[in-house]
Amino acid sequence: MRRLPIYILLDTSGSMRGEPIEAVKVGLQTMTSSLRRDPYALETVWLSVITFDLEAKVLVPLTELEQFSTPNLRAPETSPTNLGEALELLFKRYRLEIKKSTLQEKGDWLPLLLVMTDGKPSDTQLFNRMVAELKNYPFAKIIACAAGAKAKVEPLKALTDEIYALDTMDAASFGKFWAWVSTTVGRASLEVGSIRIKEEEKVPEPSHEPPDDELPPPPEEIRIVF
Amino acid sequence: MSDVVTTRANDGSTVEFIYKDPMQGGVKDCYWTTDKSAVVAFYRNKLDYAGKDRIEKLVGQYRDGIFNQTGGSYWKDVFCWPEKIVEHDGRTGIVVPAYDKRFFFEADPLKGTEKDGKWFASAKNFNRFVPPSERGELRTFLRICLQLSRGVRRLHAAGLAHSDLSYRNCLIDPKSGSACIIDIDGLVVPGLFPPDVLGTPDFIAPEVVSSFALKDRSKRVLPSRSTDLHALAVLIYLYFLHRHPLRGDKIYSADPEIQEQMEMGEKALFVENPNDRSNRPKVKPEDSRCLPWIDLDKIPYETTGPYLKALFNQAFIDGLHNPFARPSAADWEDALLKTSDLMLPCDGSSCPKRWFVYDNKTRPSCPYCGKRYEKPLPVLDFYITRDGASFRPENRRAMVWSGQGVYKWHIDRAVVPNEKLSASEGKRLGYFVFHNSRWSLVNEGMPDLFDITNDKPIPPGGHIALTNGLRLRLAAGNTGRVANVQIANV
Repeated sequence: MRRLPIYILLDTSGSMRGEPIEAVKVGLQTMTSSLRRDPYALETVWLSVITFDLEAKVLVPLTELEQFSTPNLRAPETSPTNLGEALELLFKRYRLEIKKSTLQEKGDWLPLLLVMTDGKPSDTQLFNRMVAELKNYPFAKIIACAAGAKAKVEPLKALTDEIYALDTMDAASFGKFWAWVSTTVGRASLEVGSIRIKEEEKVPEPSHEPPDDELPPPPEEIRIVF
Repeated sequence: MSDVVTTRANDGSTVEFIYKDPMQGGVKDCYWTTDKSAVVAFYRNKLDYAGKDRIEKLVGQYRDGIFNQTGGSYWKDVFCWPEKIVEHDGRTGIVVPAYDKRFFFEADPLKGTEKDGKWFASAKNFNRFVPPSERGELRTFLRICLQLSRGVRRLHAAGLAHSDLSYRNCLIDPKSGSACIIDIDGLVVPGLFPPDVLGTPDFIAPEVVSSFALKDRSKRVLPSRSTDLHALAVLIYLYFLHRHPLRGDKIYSADPEIQEQMEMGEKALFVENPNDRSNRPKVKPEDSRCLPWIDLDKIPYETTGPYLKALFNQAFIDGLHNPFARPSAADWEDALLKTSDLMLPCDGSSCPKRWFVYDNKTRPSCPYCGKRYEKPLPVLDFYITRDGASFRPENRRAMVWSGQGVYKWHIDRAVVPNEKLSASEGKRLGYFVFHNSRWSLVNEGMPDLFDITNDKPIPPGGHIALTNGLRLRLAAGNTGRVANVQIANV
């Protein structure tokens, strides 16, 4: 059975302490329980959680959705946001865990990456080096979430175009964000193996409505940053 | 109750719905009606003229054409068909009946979850996540496939194509053996309404997949009735065997996207193609919990019986790259009906399927659990006539098991069990019983049942013991069948 691996990189730096970190935890829990009722996700999804503050840690190695249990997230009092280190660790796990397709055997589906941070990378040099290396580690989709007023969107642009900015870090806006993420992951597991058609190549039609295979729109509270 | 909206539908009726907390689909927001008998699904984007025209025809002309004819009520269970159109807040919506409660899991941990076909089509989901009480039996899966075939046959007969048949768009209930085709509003009418979507991965016909790799747009192949027939064949294969007919081990490229385009498109190859075994998947150790379904040697497609095997060959060998050679929905319906008469109950205590299709062996055993069939097994081979005098084999047979009923469609070839069957034609006319170590046929309502071998009638209320070589005239007239009895497993 081919897997759809999903890596979740979570900022656990000091500013996440309190409500934000609890909200992320609840969000993760809600997401996994809704994915467990989704037959497409259950068949393919594997999850891993990597956290980063002063150091990057693998909290949950790549685990089958069914076996996954939400880790206990903790944010130390003050700590930097070592996103560069987190990416370095992610690539190491990628080399270790992802089964690549070869001419002999089919590998995993391309993984998804979700990065959530409330600040900007503290280890800028390493971060830039890792961004340059990203091309060697193909992902089907990278979603970045800049949470809270202090979050910087600019550095995340180096990772992906899909950036969601949460204005506030309360449970409600986190809740909506995670619900959106579950839908996205659910869709991704439904669409593994779909033939991608470039935008300009879509079915010629008198376009009444967007095709049924598109994502539902993200919740209103989330601004899309271009 | 301020969220309740009352509005008038296109047919003049009043629709009352709760306008909050929509369930979001791909392109629509859905709200419950106050009595929960239906949902009102509003298109998020404004419909253009063609889009509106399509839903108007859907709830009008097409709906009438299917539901308001002989046998029309049968389709209420098979299709979840939009009933009316409403306008509210500047948006257009359709009123669609709520899914029947049998299409929601009753057992924990999935209680309340919709029975998307994917739960049952995937070996991993079926073995590990579907509660045992919800797994159904081989016989109920056959009924599901029969209903789907009938539904597709009916749409096609009306000149419509579904265009996105997949496990996602048909809910199934293996407990009762029912299926319901949903998301009808994407219907395609060739030349009138083009498709919105290419289809769902796993079900898109190879010619569609490969044509989209082409630069030349004019050569693009869009979903149609013939691509529906590919999707239908895939669905039936999935529901019988819990594995995909085209996803095997053959590699075309280390690039997953190219690989996908090849294996589902230009180079698509049936995993059980007897002439080219290069795509046969091997069982990997990590997939042991998907057994036995993914083991092609243990559960080959021959286990579905000769009629379905022939159609799988036609769909996945002859018709895979030749859309016009694919079996029609009516072909599937006929083969499924014939297969239903080949089924035998399995009393193996751990049998995952409870039934199996007789494989023409003199000593049959269940392929799913290995249990040997113990009782003597009468096999009735049917013969038909044109002139009432000479009878030729029909290539059709029925297995005899305890409690098996005889119906009008067994004795008279002019009667087919489908939506047009009248209540009186659906009545049981006889049954088989194993008593004092022999099998008998009890006649309940066959006026012309006649024992040809011993030249005597068996009137209603009477019975006859089944012996090897016995010949029975089941019904009079040129459409009445003759059965020849063979006793196997002795």
